[in-house]
Amino acid sequence: MHLKLDILAETRAASTDRRLAAINHTAMLLMMVAIAAILTVAIIFQYVKGELPCPLCLLERVALFGVCFGIMRNFRHGFAYRNTGLSLLWTIFLLVVSVRQSLLDIYPRPGHAYIGSPIFGIHMPVWSIIIALALLVAYAIKVTLVGSDAFMRTADIATFPTLKRIADADRAHYDRLAAILTNAGQTPTRANLPHVLSLCSTPPRASRCTLPER
Amino acid sequence: MMATIFATTLLAFVSGWRRHGRWSLLFFFASLALAGGLFLYEIYSPEYGFHMPWLQTYDARPAGSAVCT
Repeated sequence: MHLKLDILAETRAASTDRRLAAINHTAMLLMMVAIAAILTVAIIFQYVKGELPCPLCLLERVALFGVCFGIMRNFRHGFAYRNTGLSLLWTIFLLVVSVRQSLLDIYPRPGHAYIGSPIFGIHMPVWSIIIALALLVAYAIKVTLVGSDAFMRTADIATFPTLKRIADADRAHYDRLAAILTNAGQTPTRANLPHVLSLCSTPPRASRCTLPER
Repeated sequence: MMATIFATTLLAFVSGWRRHGRWSLLFFFASLALAGGLFLYEIYSPEYGFHMPWLQTYDARPAGSAVCT
């Protein structure tokens, strides 16, 4: 009788652990998909609408890639809080850069304005603050929900075939995005100087708007 | 510089995918350091330094002249 109850309790615990692992993987996957969507929209704005990013916008994109780096390591090498720490480092970097950029553009004055067209009335630097805060909140909620990580050490994402397929597809998408951004053409040059200066929110003498010769 | 940062990030992704854990972390921290350096370089102005004088955070009126409505 006792043996039966023990087996029943163990089965129940295993089922709970598997459910928590599924919640954790799903939460991380949702974050990764959301960030991929944000980066894709940014690249569409750059290449289709011709809205060239300033260096601080590009640093915000690097930060988003960095956040995904930690998540991908969790999927690739198994769960570890170190990977969460790596993601949080870039999230804090994203928050610092986007707050500084918003403060740069917050007070309208000649030659200073937010870059690019607003989305739902909010400009990209402010969106970046919202995204960074959303990431911090998402991590806080995730840690609160699945705080005990013992079950995560044995629950590889490969045990969830659907999540694994989505993660693989998303990872391939990130490789494409990173390759596009690494290629030439993402940096403003002398050839498009007037256009860049019309978009850039700091005066040309400031280092932020100094453009490389090509 | 920006291209170097993106290339370092890409290398971190690729080496991570190929299970070169140490190289992956090395490139990761290299890109973080480069990005931090570039950020400081970009926000520095020869005229203002790191200050933002367009943001007035003090009350310019003489003490005691503030009117509560």
